[in-house]
Amino acid sequence: MEPLNDRELDHLLTNWTAPPAPATLSRRVDHARRKPWWNWLLTGSIRLPVPLALAFAVLVIVIFVATVTRGPAKPLPHPSTPTAFQPVKRLEPRIIRSTYENSH
Amino acid sequence: MTDHDFRAMFEEHKDAVYQFAWRMTNSPALAEDIAQDVFLLVWRGEAELDASRGTIRSLLLGIARNLAWKHWRRDRRLSSLNDDEIAAASTAIESLDKNQALSAAVAALPPLQREALVLVTYEEMSLQEIADLLTIEVGTVKARLYRARENLKLLLAPCRPGDVRSEKEYGTAK
Repeated sequence: MEPLNDRELDHLLTNWTAPPAPATLSRRVDHARRKPWWNWLLTGSIRLPVPLALAFAVLVIVIFVATVTRGPAKPLPHPSTPTAFQPVKRLEPRIIRSTYENSH
Repeated sequence: MTDHDFRAMFEEHKDAVYQFAWRMTNSPALAEDIAQDVFLLVWRGEAELDASRGTIRSLLLGIARNLAWKHWRRDRRLSSLNDDEIAAASTAIESLDKNQALSAAVAALPPLQREALVLVTYEEMSLQEIADLLTIEVGTVKARLYRARENLKLLLAPCRPGDVRSEKEYGTAK
């Protein structure tokens, strides 16, 4: 079939009509504008890049594994128990004198 | 932007934005979604209307264009959105009325050609304005427009003026 020429195409294109905006558009826009900002917290969504999501997931897993494998913290002996007070094995006191004391 | 300014802008441009989205997507529901999003983005200040970059209308159409592309990418309705193909997908339009045949033929065009055709033919934008809007060279706009028209000449050949069934005939045939 022979293609249209420019004039025939222009004739068809000028007759291609699009409908006007429906009345519901105005209502939808008004309704959406009146929503309070915190409504987004209930209905909103965000797009998260996959590498960022993966990095976050790996970080959570690492923290979880590290917490689990470390086990409960070893309790320090209470200072009031006898085991907390051990005799000093070797006492080596260091005497520090002032320059005044050294000269007299 | 005050409420009064927004309402004035909405009333002035709502048809242009909706009709552009309708022609780009060939879907009334999607066109309404896009038009709503365009005006809400402006109202919330998420899309800035910088008058130095063009008219308000061309800026609104630019936002609508970006939203249409976002929908296409999300829906994966096109295998390659950036491919500026020469041959449009074939479509059966013999049984359609004039308006439907044109809708089908334009919808069959690759998106880059479609937007060039719609912006030039129906939004009456100059090639330079389109080039600025799409941040491409004027020559690229010309090439896309040429390809779009060549494709439409082939696709709409069965609808040669005089051969197209009138809407009245189509209505009675249904």
